[in-house]
Amino acid sequence: MTKKLRLAGLWIARKLDTPSPLVKQSATIMGIVGALIVIVGFPEIDIEHHPTFWTGLGFIAAASATATVFTWRPDLARFALFIPVLDLVGIGLFRAGTGGVASLFSALIILPVIWLASGEGRRYILYSAVLTSVSLMMPTLLGLSTPQSSADWLRGIFAPFVFALAAAIVNELSRQGRAQLASIRALADDKERMLQRTVEYAAQLQESEAKYRAFDRMFRSVWAAVTEQSVIGTDVTGLVDAWNPGATRLLGPTADKAEDKMHIFDFHVPTELESRARELNYPPGETVLNPGFSALVESARLGAAEVREWTYVRPDGTQVPVELAVTKRVDENGETIGYLFVASDVTKAREVSRLKDEFVGLISHELRTPLSSILGYLELMRDDEDNPLSTEQVQYLGVAERNAHRLLRLVGDLLFTAQVESGKFPLDARDVPLEAIVSAAIESAGPAADASGIELVEVLPDVPAIVHGDPLRLGQAVDNLISNAVKFTPRGGKVTVALAVQHDRAVVTVRDTGMGIPESELNQLFARFFRATTATRNAVPGVGLGLTITKAIVTAHHGEMSVESEEGVGTCFSLKLPLVPASSPVGVHP
Amino acid sequence: MKAVNERPQRAGVIVADDDPDVRTLVAIAVARSGLELIEELSEGDSAWEAIQTFAPDLVVLDVAMPGKTGLELTRLIRSDADLEDIHVILLSAAVDEDAQRAGLEAGADEYMLKPFSPRELAERLAGLAEHLLTPS
Repeated sequence: MTKKLRLAGLWIARKLDTPSPLVKQSATIMGIVGALIVIVGFPEIDIEHHPTFWTGLGFIAAASATATVFTWRPDLARFALFIPVLDLVGIGLFRAGTGGVASLFSALIILPVIWLASGEGRRYILYSAVLTSVSLMMPTLLGLSTPQSSADWLRGIFAPFVFALAAAIVNELSRQGRAQLASIRALADDKERMLQRTVEYAAQLQESEAKYRAFDRMFRSVWAAVTEQSVIGTDVTGLVDAWNPGATRLLGPTADKAEDKMHIFDFHVPTELESRARELNYPPGETVLNPGFSALVESARLGAAEVREWTYVRPDGTQVPVELAVTKRVDENGETIGYLFVASDVTKAREVSRLKDEFVGLISHELRTPLSSILGYLELMRDDEDNPLSTEQVQYLGVAERNAHRLLRLVGDLLFTAQVESGKFPLDARDVPLEAIVSAAIESAGPAADASGIELVEVLPDVPAIVHGDPLRLGQAVDNLISNAVKFTPRGGKVTVALAVQHDRAVVTVRDTGMGIPESELNQLFARFFRATTATRNAVPGVGLGLTITKAIVTAHHGEMSVESEEGVGTCFSLKLPLVPASSPVGVHP
Repeated sequence: MKAVNERPQRAGVIVADDDPDVRTLVAIAVARSGLELIEELSEGDSAWEAIQTFAPDLVVLDVAMPGKTGLELTRLIRSDADLEDIHVILLSAAVDEDAQRAGLEAGADEYMLKPFSPRELAERLAGLAEHLLTPS
């Protein structure tokens, strides 16, 4: 709205600054109208020569008409100086018709001369002088009068000379006027542009302010909504400068009690911080003002986002276990200006984990006790010499025993898997000869292989392969692989168990000529409860824990497991374990 | 002076387990081993009384049972000068090694996992019989 008004104002100012041809012509029109009034009002003033008089008026009328047209056709403005030329001729004729040299209206000539002289360029001074001369000499040119004396001739020279002087002044004034106008316009344009720019900046500023406000509102609502996590910001010394409602919920103090008053390490167990500082092992002599706080932010300071379990202490002394992520805060130059501590209460998670462990332990215990009775009494029945069983009964008893053992293994596997998951993986590690473990596993798989009509081949190296590990667990891992191979190999097949020493590693391979595993399933093979389609299709019993456990054992021994398989051809599992250095024979390859 | 002389010439055994079937299974193994079963009990407190009363040569104790647990009984036996020579066999369904270590640290001579073979237990007890009767 204001913009439109301002533009309208500017338009009017421009119009007045550069008068239209009609405005300029109006002076001549008024002069002629005045002259006509005088002629009509004073009968003693004669029109001496009517054709000249009327032709003169006609020229002036034509000039006025042209001025009118040019006013509405700004594109023709460069021809506007043609109008005062017409005027000069017209006024010359008008003057000639009303008495020539004696005419009352000689002064009218000055009006178009001023216009013409104001044209841009000094040549208009000359044009003015020439046309003034032509206009004044009109009676002579038309033959209405002949110069009687040299004074008459001089009239045609002197008056134009004076007019030329006037024209020169007008021309110069106009030039100056134009220059001023141009600079004023330039200034006005500058001002306009600056105004425009200011308006744009203001709009941008308004927009970014709106964005900032929206962001601020968003941030505030998120900040307030995070009640499950404690978010605490501190400066580089650990002094709290941001404290969200989650922190209040978890720790007690409100933001106004904590901010700028408390330190983050006030909420930590000092001994925990100290032991972490010892772990990080600050070199002696390094100046660490607050080792506990430094330990807390060590990883964050180095640019890593660290998540660890810590214990928060509330002001009332109660403790709460948390999982704490520490990150650093930087300013626009990348300088560290503080730290951010985001903590989640893990009390519930720990409780759930504890309950799970307890539950698995309980289930294991509760299942083992009845299994003890089942297996024990079955054995008593089998051993009862006073009441020997029939062959058939022995066979039935065998089935019951086998299934009870299966159940027992399952319970053991479940318990073990739970231990692996909860990170409690007891390893009774010592230096053990792997060849003895492999031999024992092959031996114990012998009866099952014989019963299934499978050839079991053992390939052992000449050198001992000593690894550091738990013999029982390693035996379990190798047992699992061999019993799997036997289980998945059809009658008449072959299972080859080989131990080799390669550089610093012992490699156990168990290769069978079994049904194989589809390639698409190889990557899921070690997942808990996963069973290959070839296993289910061929009704091979199992629950899918064996390989999970085997892999967990191997991983716990810093080893690796891999598998190659071709459906219908066979499968080869490899298990690689690091050798105890002393036993590693240099350059010996099997 | 304990009433050792009054006892028969067979080594005496006390069995404690809260599961009656397992307890009977142990009792059968004791009977087959040729040892004498003095008493079988279903919880720890009465077991402690019986142990103090009869000062058996051998005890088979369930680790997890009501009253005093097998571990507690083992510690009590080992801290009593009159009873410390008793051969203690702990019986447990807990397979984790911490539990086994705890049992042996408490002073048990053997730690037996459930399920167990009654035949093997009987053989083991029979092997212990002579040694138990010979004063060390």
